[in-house]
Amino acid sequence: MTQALQQDAPLMQVEDLAVTFYSPNGTFRAVRDASLEIARGEVVGLVGESGCGKSTVAFAMMGYLPGTAEVEGAVRFEGVDITTLSTSELMELRGNRIAMVYQDPVTSLNPSMRVGPQVEEVLLRHLDIDSDAARTRSVELFESVGLADPDRIGRRYPHELSGGQQQRVVIAMALACDPHLLIMDEPTTGLDVTTEATILDLIVELKDRVNAGILFVSHNLGVIARVADRVAVMYAGEIVEQAPVRELFKNPSHPYTAGLLSCVPQPPGDDGVERQLSSIPGTVFDAQTEQAEECLFAPRCPLAQESCTTQSPPLVDTSANGHPSTGSGDHLSRCFFPGDVTSNLWGEALARVEKTHEQDRGPVLNIEGLRKFYGGGRKKYILFGPPVARPVRALVDVDMKVGSGRTIGVVGESGSGKSTAARAIVGLEPKDRGSLELHGEDLEGNVHDRTEDQRSAMRMVFQNPTASLNPKLPVGHAIVRALRKFAGVNKQESTQRAEELMEAVGLDPTFLDRQPTELSGGQQQRVALASAFAANPDLVVADEAVSALDVSVQAQVLNLLEDHQRETGNSYVFITHDLGVVRYISDDILVLYAGHVAEYGPSQAVLNVPSHPYTEALLSAAPVPDPDAKPTHIRLEGSVPTLRGAFTGCSFAGRCPRKIGDICDTTPPPTQDGPEGDNHFINCHIPISELESLQKADSGARAIAG
Amino acid sequence: MATGDSTIRPQASTATGVAKVWHAVIAFFTLVLRTNTGRIGLAVVGIHVVLALIGPWITPFPPTEYHIQDQYSSPTSTYWLGTDEKGRDIFSRVLAGARSIIWIATAGTILGVTFGTIVGVTSGYLGGRVDQVIMRIVDWFLAIPSLLLAILVINMATQRFRSVDESFIIIGIIGISFMPNNSRVIRSATLAIKPLEFVQSARLRGEPTLYIMFREVLPNVLPVVGVEATIRLSFALLLTAGLGFLGLGVQPPEPDWGKMVSENAIILDVAPLASLAPGIAMASLVVGINLLADGIRQAQNLPETGDR
Amino acid sequence: MARFLIVRLSLIVVTLLAVSVAIFTLIEAVPGDAASVMQGQQATPDSLRNLRAQMGLDRPPHIRYLDWIWDAVRGDLGQSAKSNASISEIMGERLAHSALLAVLAFVIAVPLGLVMGVWVGTRADTKMDRFLTMGGLVTISLPEFVTGVVMILILSSTLGWLPSSSIMMPGESVIGNPKVLVMPVLTVTGALFAYIMRMARANVIEVMESNYVRTAILKGLPMRTVVVRHVLRNALLPTITVIANNVGWMFGGLIIIENLFAYPGMGSLLIQAIDTRDIRMLQSTALIIASVYAFSNLAADLAYGALNPRVRLS
Repeated sequence: MTQALQQDAPLMQVEDLAVTFYSPNGTFRAVRDASLEIARGEVVGLVGESGCGKSTVAFAMMGYLPGTAEVEGAVRFEGVDITTLSTSELMELRGNRIAMVYQDPVTSLNPSMRVGPQVEEVLLRHLDIDSDAARTRSVELFESVGLADPDRIGRRYPHELSGGQQQRVVIAMALACDPHLLIMDEPTTGLDVTTEATILDLIVELKDRVNAGILFVSHNLGVIARVADRVAVMYAGEIVEQAPVRELFKNPSHPYTAGLLSCVPQPPGDDGVERQLSSIPGTVFDAQTEQAEECLFAPRCPLAQESCTTQSPPLVDTSANGHPSTGSGDHLSRCFFPGDVTSNLWGEALARVEKTHEQDRGPVLNIEGLRKFYGGGRKKYILFGPPVARPVRALVDVDMKVGSGRTIGVVGESGSGKSTAARAIVGLEPKDRGSLELHGEDLEGNVHDRTEDQRSAMRMVFQNPTASLNPKLPVGHAIVRALRKFAGVNKQESTQRAEELMEAVGLDPTFLDRQPTELSGGQQQRVALASAFAANPDLVVADEAVSALDVSVQAQVLNLLEDHQRETGNSYVFITHDLGVVRYISDDILVLYAGHVAEYGPSQAVLNVPSHPYTEALLSAAPVPDPDAKPTHIRLEGSVPTLRGAFTGCSFAGRCPRKIGDICDTTPPPTQDGPEGDNHFINCHIPISELESLQKADSGARAIAG
Repeated sequence: MATGDSTIRPQASTATGVAKVWHAVIAFFTLVLRTNTGRIGLAVVGIHVVLALIGPWITPFPPTEYHIQDQYSSPTSTYWLGTDEKGRDIFSRVLAGARSIIWIATAGTILGVTFGTIVGVTSGYLGGRVDQVIMRIVDWFLAIPSLLLAILVINMATQRFRSVDESFIIIGIIGISFMPNNSRVIRSATLAIKPLEFVQSARLRGEPTLYIMFREVLPNVLPVVGVEATIRLSFALLLTAGLGFLGLGVQPPEPDWGKMVSENAIILDVAPLASLAPGIAMASLVVGINLLADGIRQAQNLPETGDR
Repeated sequence: MARFLIVRLSLIVVTLLAVSVAIFTLIEAVPGDAASVMQGQQATPDSLRNLRAQMGLDRPPHIRYLDWIWDAVRGDLGQSAKSNASISEIMGERLAHSALLAVLAFVIAVPLGLVMGVWVGTRADTKMDRFLTMGGLVTISLPEFVTGVVMILILSSTLGWLPSSSIMMPGESVIGNPKVLVMPVLTVTGALFAYIMRMARANVIEVMESNYVRTAILKGLPMRTVVVRHVLRNALLPTITVIANNVGWMFGGLIIIENLFAYPGMGSLLIQAIDTRDIRMLQSTALIIASVYAFSNLAADLAYGALNPRVRLS
């Protein structure tokens, strides 16, 4: 190595980093101005919305950027500038002194290689040991990241492991050579909340155990609050604010940070009043723009003044700037007016407008005994072969009611059956059994067999906004078709109505003739909403409708949904994995586990003690965007099982932390009324009163419920 | 027209059919011209097509005319590429051969790809029993190597239906033998589109199945169809020429490139151009088509499927 | 595994039965039967009737089909209408010749194509890559008979190194005459090699962009190790599938090449049977080609299963 690593130099120093990608399709300035320091034993959180350049910063620290990238500034690891190193010098560092944990563990592991050798090869590459020692060490590593059966897990292929196990393997791989710097790029994104919680526990524990500096990249403020010591906020390729975690969450001094915090649905405050969500107007900055002598956040900023558009603000120390300072020189903000960033910046924190419920009209949708099984019965080949495995129980005897003007949130991990429920309701997956009633009228299982009126009364919004619009047809297509089908209007009138709808969802009507690819994700989702609202439906089924959106845009869409409900009195079935969102938007909550109803009732009742052990575990796992939140301790390992064939017992028994005995495995749990008796049901063998006392005792687990 | 209406907006729906086709043609050329391979391919294929079109006006001799006194002639100013054993002008024969092979291969490809696209989209979109049955039939077709099937069918058809022009029989055979592979490719492209949300949305709007298949799904599969069609075209050329080479193509005295290569292979020592010229013409055309296909594929960032 | 084999073998039996029906029908539908072909111009209605009765041709088609297929299963393919020789015997020799040609081409083209494909795939967008992919595309595009003719012109007519055709005296074997093999093998190999190279390259490039290769690089492994341990297996898997799916196309190439060089294999036998209207011979040749094809598809599936840990052959 040409430059010796200096152990006493700062672990990682990023100085004035700028990264530009050149491609035939144009120039893309991913990172404009990032300076960051990481010390050993410290976790630095790097947070920002998609496209802000945070992953590019992470990969720059590995010296891993494509050849088309131009890097300016310095990335100093233990005093050596990584950008100047040769490939072989980088090879010595990677996996050895600097290691990385990736988003999406399943694609990060070689699918055709057992996981043990994948870990061992790092050891063999960097340490002077033989293959036996490497195997022993890999078992130790598997054990240290909390993998059950560490002796044998190395013999498995990645696809034989659950998402959580895969990520633990990736972490073990990263820890293999005791790295000095650990880079974690969205390590829990894409995992279920329950799995995310266990991985975060592991990371928090590692932080104390290994003496490494950690860069933790995430878009999720809750996750950052849980693990980080210091936080840097990125916007449009610039680090706009940097502060110790507590300071950043309590006293943000950049309007963007303050905005992000007010976009996240929060538990009710001490006064028990829920707040209206704020949202940041506009869309995330477009990185195609090359040079900018202005504050890049100005177009979306309520504090923006003339001066903000003529020069770019420097990163200034705000700890002594009239702010209630906690330290000195460790709170930086890229804003001309950091003193003006207050908690009311993004609108007064209003109490939410209470909805007026029209209870007398009866339920819009009534579901009884809804059941859907997949597969089974058929032979593998027309004449030959064994029958395909026994049917998968995707949805088993689900009951629920959707009141007029109300929102029911359906929650559960992946595999819980919540999406199947949504698809069965709208008729995309015909139900096997049970009844669906819309306004007291029986619904056919298949959407094809329903009447035009029924289809028009019940609409759906999907998770992926990009795929919601046909990329080969103009944006207006879906809206105009819906209008012509359901409102029975002619061509001329439909164009006019479509324009009105576009305005109603806050979009420029000229977008109707554009191609879908020209719109951002948030805009596409608004178009999808406009198409769903086209014929004033009574019920909109939203399947993870805000999950793919950035927080600032997510808040816009959530508010749009609420506003529409207030105006027209429609109902929502809101499918989501995000408990914060569900808490914010729902009047009622249905908790699903492996296709079975675990708990069902009014939001307040479901979210408070007593609740089903599964609800309790979900709540316990949900990350809270508050560094002072007491860590919860109820954790679920593994993932939702696939139940096949004739299954008896409680579906949750296999993972239940409160399992009481054999009865859970053999007998279906009884449906018990909640203590208030307000249509609150818990399907559990543990008596309600006992659940209540058990859970009150574990008050730590309920920090989120307030 | 000047009216009081202050809002002017582009109306996509007013575009006429001709304009739409024109737009598609322009889009096609911009796509092809985006890559080097596409440009070269277009040039080569363009030359072939132009020569085939104007062939009858520029051929020095009728392609079937014998010049017994000029057997095995080397290239001269009269016979640009020389003559064969019967003294026929090779240049004229190659030009005439271009017409028939391009017509047969193109028509056969269009037949096969159209048929295959309809079958593929239907099978992929409908799924279930229909899909199983269709795919099983396709499997049967694929159980015989396509050239063997073509040989057996053409052997039967040319003798049984003597009054039918062989070119139509070959077109039919190309269509049939391309359908299975083509429908498989289109089916898998359809399967990738089918679960997408905009298709589900269309179902939820209660759109008729045919509307969804051909208005919502088909436009999204068309890029794949385009690449398929170009690749298939090169196979169609190879198959047509191969059949001709085996003596099963267009019957004499009409010139056929494949046949010319095989019947003149024995006089390779005296008149090498007699079989080389049609061979090179054939090779350059297929190379051009493949370059074109590769260019389209690259410009659209589609993966290389390599189906034969 | 055993179960997989049983299922697949029974499927092959079903497929081949269907294929044999198709072959039989297609050939039966040709005007004129074996008797009229044998007697040619001298045929009188009476002599034809006698010969038909003698050959069993007066029986209904389905009986004749069952008769044919039953004999075929027991290894008796009947007599050639032309030479009266036992078809099974001729077929054995011809099949061996074709197999030799195919196997030689395979043994050369597959490893070479894979190695070259991987090599250029890891050097995507270099000058060498562009040259080889373009060259590969041109090679794939060349019809076999054109490559063959050019080769005859150079290696035989001009240089005189090799015989221009593979015609042999009866009883002569290809093994004793390796010179006749060179050009046919080279012709098959050329296209096959270019095709495999391009497929391997495309798949290597795709795998190189995958996240797990990024992981391997960021482990600090040298590029060589990354390619050998992480890229190869995952890139070869789809390559083999593609090659396997296109065995039929190679069969087509063989038919043409055998005819060009008059190589004594199944392909030239097939066309010979058509030209001489030797019906029994044609049916048998077609059936054997289809059978070999079915089994080579099975072999490809087995190779795929052996490489892919996710496919448990069951």
